[in-house]
Order: sequence, then C-alpha cells, then structure tokens
Amino acid sequence: MQKVQEIDYLVLTGLADESTPLELAQLSRKIGLDQAKVSAVFVTRQGAELQVEEKPYLELSIGKKAKEWGDVLPERKIVQTLDSAGAALSIPEIAEKSGLPSKDVGGSLKVLRDKGWVEQKGKSLELTADGKAAAAAPPGPDEQIFAAIAAVENYITDRELKERGLPVEEALQLFEARKGVLDVRERVERFATLSDAGKQMVDSGIAPVKEVNLLTPEMLKDGSWREVEFRPYDVTAAAEAAHPGKIHPLVSVFEKTRRVFLEMGFEETESGYVESSFWDFDALFQPQDHPARDMQDTFYVSNPPRTRLPDEELVRRVKDTHEGNGDCQSVGWRYKWSRELSEKTVLRTHTTASTVRALAANPQGPRKVFCVGPVFRRETVDYKHLPVFHQVDGIIIDEKATFANLLGTLEAFYRKMGFSKFQFRPAFFPYTEPSVEVFVWSDKKSDWVEMGGAGMFRPEVTEPLGCTSPVLAWGLGLERLAMFTYDLGSIGELYRARLSWLKGVDLCRL
Amino acid sequence: MPVIGIPVDMLNERIETKLEPDDMVVKLQQLGCDVEGYATLQRFGCETCGFLMEITETENPPVTCTACGEDFKENPGQISERGTSEVIRMELLAVRPDMFDPAGLARTLRGYLGEFVGPVNYQLGKPTITVTAEIGLMDQESANYRPIRCAVVRNVKLDDDRIKVLMKLQENLHWAMGRDRKRASIGVYDLATFRPEKGLRYRLVGPEEIQFVPLGKKTESTPKKVLEEHPKGVAYAHLLETKEKYPLLAAARADGSEMVMALIPIINSEDTKVTQKSEDLFIDVTGLDDRLVDKILNTILTSILELCPEASGEKVAIQVEGGEGFESPDLSPQEVEFDTSLPARRIGIEVDSDGVKLLLKKMGHGLAEGGNGKVTVQVPAYRNDILHPVDLVEDVAIAYGYHNIVPSLVPTFTVGEETPRSTVMNRVRQALAGHGFLEVLTLILSNEADQFEKLGRKDGAEHVVLAHPISQDQTLIRTSILPGLLDTFSVNTDQPLPQRIFEVGRISKLDSSEEVGAREHLRVAAAIIGSRVDFAEIKAQAESLIRELGLSGDYDCQALTTEHEYFGTFIPGRGAAIGKNGKDWLVFGELSPQVLENFGLGYPAAVLEMNLEVLLN
Repeated sequence: MQKVQEIDYLVLTGLADESTPLELAQLSRKIGLDQAKVSAVFVTRQGAELQVEEKPYLELSIGKKAKEWGDVLPERKIVQTLDSAGAALSIPEIAEKSGLPSKDVGGSLKVLRDKGWVEQKGKSLELTADGKAAAAAPPGPDEQIFAAIAAVENYITDRELKERGLPVEEALQLFEARKGVLDVRERVERFATLSDAGKQMVDSGIAPVKEVNLLTPEMLKDGSWREVEFRPYDVTAAAEAAHPGKIHPLVSVFEKTRRVFLEMGFEETESGYVESSFWDFDALFQPQDHPARDMQDTFYVSNPPRTRLPDEELVRRVKDTHEGNGDCQSVGWRYKWSRELSEKTVLRTHTTASTVRALAANPQGPRKVFCVGPVFRRETVDYKHLPVFHQVDGIIIDEKATFANLLGTLEAFYRKMGFSKFQFRPAFFPYTEPSVEVFVWSDKKSDWVEMGGAGMFRPEVTEPLGCTSPVLAWGLGLERLAMFTYDLGSIGELYRARLSWLKGVDLCRL
Repeated sequence: MPVIGIPVDMLNERIETKLEPDDMVVKLQQLGCDVEGYATLQRFGCETCGFLMEITETENPPVTCTACGEDFKENPGQISERGTSEVIRMELLAVRPDMFDPAGLARTLRGYLGEFVGPVNYQLGKPTITVTAEIGLMDQESANYRPIRCAVVRNVKLDDDRIKVLMKLQENLHWAMGRDRKRASIGVYDLATFRPEKGLRYRLVGPEEIQFVPLGKKTESTPKKVLEEHPKGVAYAHLLETKEKYPLLAAARADGSEMVMALIPIINSEDTKVTQKSEDLFIDVTGLDDRLVDKILNTILTSILELCPEASGEKVAIQVEGGEGFESPDLSPQEVEFDTSLPARRIGIEVDSDGVKLLLKKMGHGLAEGGNGKVTVQVPAYRNDILHPVDLVEDVAIAYGYHNIVPSLVPTFTVGEETPRSTVMNRVRQALAGHGFLEVLTLILSNEADQFEKLGRKDGAEHVVLAHPISQDQTLIRTSILPGLLDTFSVNTDQPLPQRIFEVGRISKLDSSEEVGAREHLRVAAAIIGSRVDFAEIKAQAESLIRELGLSGDYDCQALTTEHEYFGTFIPGRGAAIGKNGKDWLVFGELSPQVLENFGLGYPAAVLEMNLEVLLN
C-alpha cells in the first residue's frame, strides 16, 4: 500500500472513476477539497500521474460604461428614435425622445458613424439609408451578445454563448473598438485525467497520510507521530532577526586593552574623575602657566572649588622641583610655585593622574601598572572630539627599563590590537624625556596615524615621589582606536548610539 | 599650535644635501616636527607695511594685514598677489622656537645631516649704541617691571621672502614664547631711520604725553588713541589695562627731536619700519621675565643671522638710569654636566662616549672635556628646553634616530591583576547581556534639568559642578545614570520595540572626607521600553541582578515613600527600593508618564538603578 499525502489521495481517487477529463472546479466540488489544494496537486503530479490540459476561455460581463444600458445598445435606440421621428433630430431631442442620457447619445456618435447608420448635419443627426434598414433589421451579432451577457448576473463564458449558437467571435471583434462596454477576462480551465502511471498507482492501492504542521507532546505520547507527515517548510524563507544582548563596542575596546595589559603582567589601578591640580598637573611637572591649564582647555570645578593636598613633605618636594631647588639636578621652571593653584579642583585631563598616584603609593619597582578610564578636556566638540573620552595610561617602574623597552611595549600593545606597521617620532610632553609619539600605518588612509604619546618620566616627576628607577609611561586614546576598528565617521556614533548600530556590530569585529 | 609653511627652496639653499620634498618631510619628522604635508601656497603682500601673507588653496585671501591691521576691504589697492611657493606645512614645535623659521630649521638640519657639527659661533661686535632705561622698568620690585634686551644686525640684504620670514618669526615668537604678547614682545627697526649715536631711551609715558605715527598709518596719534583706534591697539589694549603709564622706546632724529620707535607691547612706529632697503636692524625684546626676554632675543638674533649669512651681529649697551649697565645679548652657552654613559643606559642603545659626543655635536651643542667620562655640554643660547641632563639624552636619541632604536621588552616578569571594580563591572555586563540587554555608553557630564526635573528626582545638591561648562547640557558630573538611558531611548524612537538597554559606570558625589572633595560610585542602570512593560518584569530583573552578584539572602523590598529621592520618577505605588539595614541597594519600577513625556518617549518604560558600591566595600 503506497502512502501519499492526503490531498494527492483525494485528487487521484476522485479522477479514478472518471472516463473523461474533469475540470478543476468540478473536481474540487466532487472531492470536497478547496481549489488551491487541487491546483497544487495538479502542479506536482502533472506529467507523472496526471495529464492536465489547459483550455483557455473568456469571462464576459458588462463593462462600467454600459451598466445603465439595460440589454439594448444605445445606437439601436437612437436609430429607432430617428426612424419613428422620420426626420433629423438634435442630440437633446434624441435624448428626450429615446430616454437615453445625452452623454450616451453623444458617446454613440462614433459607433453610429462606424456602422454608417447616421450622418451629422450641423447640430442634428440624420438617419442614412443603411440606418433605416438597420432599424427594421434584427439585432446584429454585437447586440445579441450584449443582450445575452446583460441577462446574466455576474458573467458568462464564451463557451456557454457559443453553445447557444451565438456569434461570439464577430461580436468580440465589433466590441474591440468600444472600450468599457464589455469586461473581458481571459481564464484557463484545467482538465485533468489519470495517466497510465496514475491508473496503475491507484490500482495497486494507495492510502492517504495526514499532513500536519506541529509536532505535539500528545503525538509523542501516543505514537501518532508515526501516522502523519509534517508539512515541509520553505527553508529559504527569511526568519526574524534575533539579536543577543551585548557589551558596547567601545567597551569591547576597553576590555581588549585591559586584557592585553593584564596579559603582560600589569596591575590595574584607578582614581577619581575629580582631581586636584596637584596630581593632574603639578606632580607631573607641568608648569603652572602651561596653556593646557588654562580654563579654556581644562574643566575647573566650582563645587568643590578646592582640594586638600597630600602630605606636606611631598608637596614641598614638588614645589622645590618646580622652582629649581629640587634634589634632581634640574633647573626647574624657575618661577614661584603657588600652592593655591595646585589646590584648584579639576576634572582629570588624563589618566596619567591615576598612574602617577599609583607611582607615589609605591615607587618601588619592578612594577607595571595601567589604568583605563574617562578623561575630560574642555575642547570644541566636533566629529572626533568630545569633552569626555577614554584613555589607557600605563607605567613600568623598573631599574632595567630603557626607552627601547618603551617602544617595544607600545609595539606589543598595538600588534595585539591588529596593527603591524609602526613609526616612532620624537615628541614633547612636560613630564617625559625622551618623549615619543607612536604612529600606525592605516591602509585605508594610506598614511601614518598618530595613536598616542609616551616617554620616560622626567626625574622631576619621579624623584619627589621617592622613585629612583626609570619609569616608562604612555597615554593612548581609546576612542581613536575604536573609530579605526569600527570604521566610524564620527565619535558621536559611540555615545547616544543607535540601537540598530549596536545590534549590528558583530562579536568578531575586534 | 599655529601651522607654518617652510619654503622647500629656502631649506635646500641652506643645506648641502638637496632633499626631495618627501625625503625632507621624513627628516623633519625624525627631528620631531609635526609635519602636515606639503602644499603650494598663494602669496599676498600688504603694500602698506610690506608684510607677506600666505594662504593655502582652500583659504580665502586675507581681509586684513596680520602685521599692521590694514583693512583690505576698505583699501583693496593695498593688497597684491605675489606668486606661489612650495612649502612644507608643519605645526610649530613649542619647545624649539629656534626652529620656527626656515633658517633656524636649516641650522638644525645641517647638524642632523652631519654637514656641520658643533655649535655655531656667532661673533658679535662691541656695542656702538646705548639704550638708557628708566629704573621703573628695570627694577624687579616695580609694578612696571619690564626688562629689555637689545641687539643690532648690520649689513642685512632683505628681499620679499626674507622680510616675510622675519615678520612671521616675530609673530610666532610673540605667540609661542610671548604668550600672545602677554609675557613678552619684540620690536625690529630700521637703524637708518634714526640717529642711534644719540642713544635710545626706554621709559614710561602717560597715555597722552606724546604722539607718533603707528605702523600702517599716516597721521600721528597719542598712545591713548592708538589703543582705541588702531587695529593692533584694539587687539592688545588689555595688556596695558591696569597701567597708568606705558613703556616707550624712542630714539633721536637727525635734528635732535625724539622719534618714537614703539609703544610697547602694542605697535611700532611707521617711521622706523623695516623695508627691503633696510641694511641695519635694531631689535628689542621686552617682557615680564628677564630670562624669557634673553631667550627670545637670542633666538631671534641668531635666526636672523642664519637667515642673512652676510650680516653680522653687534651688542648693545643697556644703561639703567641711576643703576648698573650691561651688554646685551649674552650668547654664552648654558653649561650642563653630562655623563656620557647615560644615553646608552636610558635609551637602551649601544653607543660609546665618542659616539655620544658626536651625536651631541650634531644637535648643535659644544663640548668641553671634564674627565671621568664626564663632559660639560655647552648648550647654545637659543635653546630654552634643556632643564636637566635627560633633555640632552633626548637630543642624543633624536640624533641617533628613533627609527634606528630596536624595540625590546623589559626583561622583568610581573604578575598582573585587575581591580575588584572591573570584576564587578564585567559580571554585571554578563548578567544583563544574558537577559538580552544592549550595553550603551552615555556622557558622564550632564545637567540639572536632565538629572532632576525631567527625571522627577529630588535634587540633594550632592553633585560636582563645573566652573566653566562648555555647554548648558554639560554643567555637572552625573549622579544618576538613568537620564542617559532615557536620552538613548529618545534617539531611537524609530527602532523596533521592545528595547532593553543598560549602562554600568560611575557617578560622582561630593564627599568632604575625600582629599579631592568628591568620590565616584559605581552604578548600573537598566531600562526597558515597549508596548507592554510592567513592574513584574523589572522586579524580576532587579532580583536576578542581586542574585547573580551574590547578594541574595535577607533583604528588604519596600515601596518608595514620598520623601524618597526617586519617588517622583516612578508611577506612585509602582516604585520600590531593595536594600538592607536602611541602605538602598537599588531602586526600580514603572516610569511615571510625566517622566516619559519629559524625555519625549511614547511608550511605557520600566527602569532600575543599582549602587554597586555595596559589593565593593
């Protein structure tokens, strides 16, 4: 016993006892299956178990224009009216006498001329000889067809009309030039019959298998899943996009940065956003009249306006160093250092404030320390600058540390971030000497791009803090790295982000 | 920092190795110059004062003269086109004013390329001119203290280019070292326009005491009028705001009458201006600090001598009225004791004592042997950046070539460790991302409206306030992360719902027990917005967080009462706090429709905010 889908079973058996091909609609009614499903079986089994023949036909119904005409074409009413009047009549007169709306009279002028039934004489229409003859003659093919179609409620097929002996072809030709009078739709009837293969299949025995959508726990329980087939799906159809919760792409950059430094043996440190000028600038030997300390460039805080300072001994050593009287052989800045200025509260301008605090807390090497965090600068906002951005600062305290090791560390970091070509150029920062700027090659820009600054802390920085080893230090911008990694046009895309962008950044980008 | 254009030709003229622009750029970068590229510049000259201005292809021609302030809109005949030049555009290196101009830059390049090693010996002739200075200007204790230093340059041959270089140099030194003239100013004059043998006077005058024709003008004005009407006067009047008397430099004319050379630091006189015909120049530098004034004079004098190699320098005698006299300038080098083994150690390269000496000489320093591997480095008088021997180590590294240093890693092994805060942040991220929340980052700076009024939250005046905010949207450090989340929703109103976001980060609060007067606190906030958002859902999230962060056990969950800081944030009766012993760990609930409206949101939302410090103490 061959198992076939239920609908196939119904169609095949439904045709098995028919001697002549059966039309689809009729078959549907016979077997109680809706036409769409029967059609589907025709399609799948066509050429195999079924022979399907398509027979086109026309569906004819009354067109929009002719809805009010009843079952008589207006030109007939017009010639009849003219005939009884026995004279030429104007259009309004014709309309009045015939009962037709004047627009239909006017609209019939063309067909009246085409048929040769009427001549226009000034504003009046006069019956021609042919017209007079036509008035007495029986209805033409178009009139017959029109009447027949008007008689049914919806539509009638050309086949049915032909069966009645009506001149369908002629009429349709005549109607071709008259738009809107008839509504003609082309249809196809499909007639199916069992092929030899089909007959053989039915004779050898077939049984229907039920097709279902869902596998239910009940089917599993009672084993009825064995009796059914599951409707196959179009596996290429689109499924709704699903997005996982994720960390922010910029945070991925922070985390990767942190991981790289942790991998290289660094301890993480952090400090506050609110900082004293002492730690943000003075301990780093940045002179008190340095332009970066101007209120144009740094966010000063009005509440709390002043900070306390660390222990007096340290403050004194920093003061002496600035004034050139320190222990470290430096001529200093040779000005009068102001304690008041160092107490001014700021929002930290770099994470170097954090690493220098860490250095002060324990100046004894060997140590490697890093900090990732936000910094604040009072800069004009544009596509690559915001007042808040993130840096990673790092220091290596080690008596064996050299400038060459600094370059090596920077290279190691950027290599892990995906860059392979580097350039180091001399730079200047108040707290490091020698200083360097690290550039990476961007294929996209076909140019070297600056990524951050670094150097060895000046003795003016390390010695007041009690550190006798060389200290390597660097501060690198992380938004810059992110803009590279994610190919962003503007830094604003990271903050006030579009959720569609956040969803779209896949996990493998970094 | 300003960007200058260094004509490639001018550089190549002064060095032996002719360099192609690309190569020139590389060499300059190796010296630490911030090169932006090279460009063809269009040159314009001011017919009034002779100043040459250059603009890039994308800029518009100047509307006023940068030197004398002549208005070209009013007097279009006073500006003329003077051709084009190929220049290398670079940002001024603030610590190397001796490299602000092509001649000074060429001097450094010559040394770097090994064409001329060792210091340049600028021979200065004995003084023939005396400047008498009023004691009020030369006394450190005086309120009008403004020390002066001067020099003379004889036999210069000036053309358009050289005048332009000179004026640009003066302008850049004004800006960089003089801090836009606040700390020092420079004057350059044509010696032929006055009778120097009668001596110069440097004194204080009242605002209406004298008259002179300022540069660029044709009629005389008093100093007061100059400050009120002359473009440079208007621009720099603030420098003399607090002064009752103004510094003036004057000379004698042929007929013995006084001729004003400059109202300091505002403007020179028209009579003494330098033109192409000038053969001898007088230079003065005045300022608030004698060391700075010395350095500026040394720089501009030696740069002019480099620019005009045919010229020679001459000292000027300065006599303080009723006080000491001295000669200016003093080009003696700064002496620094240096251990030649330091560079190898600090830089991590192999270079012996002789190698170090050669490298120092290539950077223009002189050397005197000291024995025991120590030398005395004689730093040229125009260098202002050598504060400590490590500054010389950097010069050695630059001469050696940073590109020649082989990078390596520190040989010491250390063990890394992350902060507890980072550990907590990542756990929170994992928990919330696991629930399908997307992490967002919002600005740490916020404003009162967003933090309090719009959020329906009571202002406890615990926030850190900025003194000079850059915009009214950013006046304080946030004390809640919620407004940032709601703002994120407001820029995503076209995106599908529901939306679930979170942020973990720090807020700041005033704290007098802290050295800096404030302290950061770690927080996390999460928010859900959608057609159907309810209390049960956000409570489930709150409890999930508490559980995943290891805080389960006894805790209280209480409805927010009217006195609570966040009462107005939530629908009354639908806001709650979870905590223990009277301390809140987190608040959560359904957002009040007023808050939704305030943030421009059209769907219900539920939020939570947790203080993560409870895990860190």
